[in-house]
Amino acid sequence: MMFRRILLHEWRTLAADATVWVVGGVFAVAIGYGLWNGVRWTAFQEQALAAARAEEDERYTRLNAQLVELAQPGAKISPFADPRNPSAFGGRLGPRYAALPPAPLAPLSIGQSDLLPYYVKVSTDARENIVSATEIENPSRLQAGRFDLTFVIIYLYPLLILALCYNMLSAEKEQGTLAMVLSQPVALGTLASGKVVLRAGVVIGLVLALSAAAMAAAGVDLGAPGAAARFALWAGAVTAYGLFWFGLALLVASFGRGSTTNATVLATAWLVLVVMTPSLFNLVATGIYPVPSRVELVQATREAAEEANKAGSQVLARYYDDHPELATGDPDQAMTDFNIVRVAVNDDVERRVRPLVQRYESQVAAQQAMIDRLQFLSPAILMQNALNDVAGTGTARHRHFMAQVDAFHATWRGHFVPLIFAKRTVDSVAAVPSFTFDEEPMAALAGRVAAGLAGLALPAVILVGVGLRRLGGYPIVG
Amino acid sequence: MISRIARKEFTELVRDGRFRVLGAAVLALSVLSLAVGWKSYQDLSAQHRSAQAATRDQWLRQEKKNPHSAAHYGMYAFKPKSQLAMIDTGVDPYVGVAVWMEAHRQNDFKFRPAQDRTAVQRFGEMTGAEVLQVLLPLFIVLMTFAAFAGEREQGTLRQLLATGVRGRDLALGKALGIGWALSLVLVPATIAAAIAFALSSGAGLLAGDPVRIGLLVVSYLVYFVALTAIALAVSARVRSSRIALVALLSFWFANSVVAPRLASDIAAWLHPTPSAVEFQKAMDADLNDRTGVERRLERRRAELFQRYGVDQVDALPIAFSGISLQEGEEHANEVFDRHWGALFTRYEQQNRVTQLAAAVSPMLAVRALSMGLAGTDFAQHRHFTSAAESYRRDIQRILNGDIAMNQKRGQVYLADHTLWEQVPEFIYEAPPASWVLGHHTIAIGMLALWMAAACAWMVREAGRSRVE
Repeated sequence: MMFRRILLHEWRTLAADATVWVVGGVFAVAIGYGLWNGVRWTAFQEQALAAARAEEDERYTRLNAQLVELAQPGAKISPFADPRNPSAFGGRLGPRYAALPPAPLAPLSIGQSDLLPYYVKVSTDARENIVSATEIENPSRLQAGRFDLTFVIIYLYPLLILALCYNMLSAEKEQGTLAMVLSQPVALGTLASGKVVLRAGVVIGLVLALSAAAMAAAGVDLGAPGAAARFALWAGAVTAYGLFWFGLALLVASFGRGSTTNATVLATAWLVLVVMTPSLFNLVATGIYPVPSRVELVQATREAAEEANKAGSQVLARYYDDHPELATGDPDQAMTDFNIVRVAVNDDVERRVRPLVQRYESQVAAQQAMIDRLQFLSPAILMQNALNDVAGTGTARHRHFMAQVDAFHATWRGHFVPLIFAKRTVDSVAAVPSFTFDEEPMAALAGRVAAGLAGLALPAVILVGVGLRRLGGYPIVG
Repeated sequence: MISRIARKEFTELVRDGRFRVLGAAVLALSVLSLAVGWKSYQDLSAQHRSAQAATRDQWLRQEKKNPHSAAHYGMYAFKPKSQLAMIDTGVDPYVGVAVWMEAHRQNDFKFRPAQDRTAVQRFGEMTGAEVLQVLLPLFIVLMTFAAFAGEREQGTLRQLLATGVRGRDLALGKALGIGWALSLVLVPATIAAAIAFALSSGAGLLAGDPVRIGLLVVSYLVYFVALTAIALAVSARVRSSRIALVALLSFWFANSVVAPRLASDIAAWLHPTPSAVEFQKAMDADLNDRTGVERRLERRRAELFQRYGVDQVDALPIAFSGISLQEGEEHANEVFDRHWGALFTRYEQQNRVTQLAAAVSPMLAVRALSMGLAGTDFAQHRHFTSAAESYRRDIQRILNGDIAMNQKRGQVYLADHTLWEQVPEFIYEAPPASWVLGHHTIAIGMLALWMAAACAWMVREAGRSRVE
């Protein structure tokens, strides 16, 4: 009963404050703008993927027509442009796109999707050549980052919470109303809880409602498979992050200092946790596990290619040792076949540079492992990971995609290499493998996000618990 | 009088425990970021230098082959690290480090270092520039917000003004005192930077370029003067130190955190770029358009027929295959200039919008200038791109010219190392500081404007500051 009265009273006080409305309005605009930005970017990606599909379809129609034409007696074509030649088809003529479509809630977070490739053109070419193509983007823009909903949630949302909470007890004390209220049969813990619960309800409810409304207005389909579950995870993360900051505000309030001190302490906490720790952790991770410049890989690949080319026949002999199933024709004659030797040389080059590629990958993995541990000290990093994961724009889903690209690359080679070795021709485009992206299982995603949620919720609970406990010794007067 | 006010302000600040903690933290972060920047510069510049030497070596070591095979083999250009990237990495993590210079194609730069990092990179890198552009302004705000408002609350402003000191002198004295205190952090940080420069290998790009370093120092000083003046003006104008703090913190947040993103969004909205698929498709369509090449060949053939007085290709004393390869290159070069040129111009238009947005956020101006002077902005990336591309075109001209001169009909022509040696080494020189300034006139103007306006505002507000 008393609790409800506190809630009602707090609501009236807040609603009567014009600043609250202004701040709330600014925040609403920021949410709408952030989401709109995400929607535009997702639309751009979808358009690019459609253009890629159209380009591929057009090319395949042409290749098919050529194949039909070349089946006629007397038809002629330059050997380099001959689609019947499996080396040419699998290499230059017929590459297919492997596309990572935006996940259902992609507009919620732009994440790493502007930096990491979301479509790659797969051919028999070396893996490093295939995956190094990137989307066009102004580097200054990549550097600045985007004003997306994730930015609003990570940076602005805590500020809103702190602005509403920094003086929730100290102001009453400074006005002298705190002693009056507590002369009634109400505990300070109840009063403080009432204040926090109302503010948390209003702010978190506002963020969720506004985001949902903005999504509906922007035409984000919550009925898409997995979308509802993703949104639930997103809402969970936003709630946990909000509770963390409410807990922090409550703890700081429990020390009974003045409004100015509280504001300073909370602003410093925000600065340290949101602005400084992430950059500092990045600095530490890249300092301890530096990734060498990729120029070394470029040079090593060239060096390896030169050596493999020189040792062409030996390289092929070794390739036959590894792939006896391909030794169908006359091995001596194969030694003179440019296309066959090239397959073996490419394979050899990849084998030679593999350790170097693994060194890059292992350094990045070591950085990631370090950040994965350190993130529990930084709610901002936890939040970034969780929000990117939910939107499908994080590193995990991209790794999942790249693993499928690698598998598809192997399938692609598995299709064309035997044709090259058997000196057979490509007769129809129907048998050429194509790529479909398998969405990562919801359980894996939910597991990762849940770990992040726990990392946010646990400190929040501790902060609230300690804060409420400390309120017992709150200096109500003086 | 001014010096006395400055001394009072300085003493008060350095006796404040908060100042000492914050100052130590900023200094520690500067030194840490410098150390990591120094290490990464040492490693990367050595890697890039040795790779550049190796690609040259590979070129010279080529066996006997047809010049056009050598053209296809090509060479790599590796972007040299700028020594000043130790302080400001600029767009370096977001542009590729290597470009393959081969026949027929202007390739894109590959391998953006940021792709080999975790997503945390996107929070921003803790570089010297980050400390100077984000943390130091906050430090200034915290040191300054109470300068007038605090004295007003304590009632000392009334006493002070009763001594007959002019508001302008008061503001100036306070600004000097704050600057003096700030120098306790900035001077050691600058010395640390100087030591880092001195200890780094001297062969890097822009190594020991005193003009750029000097201009960098001046740019940041101008920025700090502007911020101090703004903070003092706000402190003199508003009623309480609390309001001053809230107003200044909001300004800091909008200026340092929100503005870069918002400005870049608006820039991209005004000047959109195509997707890589569309870009490639449009360029391929132009490249594959044979009519342009045919026309060029026709003209060239007629020219040669006239010069040598013959009427068929076989009768020419030079190999037409070399001519035809070169004409193909010339045609493609026009296409590349058009498409890549349009794209890069788009980026520069976007960056110009960001510089213009400095009208509302001075940080955007100092950020652009800092990157520019450090040699890590897009304009200088483009400068390197152009140098590499024109070198690629030189290679093609030399090789195709050799084919035209030496290829004999019906024979296999193989060139040897004497031809490879005719291709000069690729040596890149960074543009001079004046070039950088020319590319950042908007930013320079904005920064100067901010400083002038801020100082004028400070003097005005200090002059009419109310005592309670």
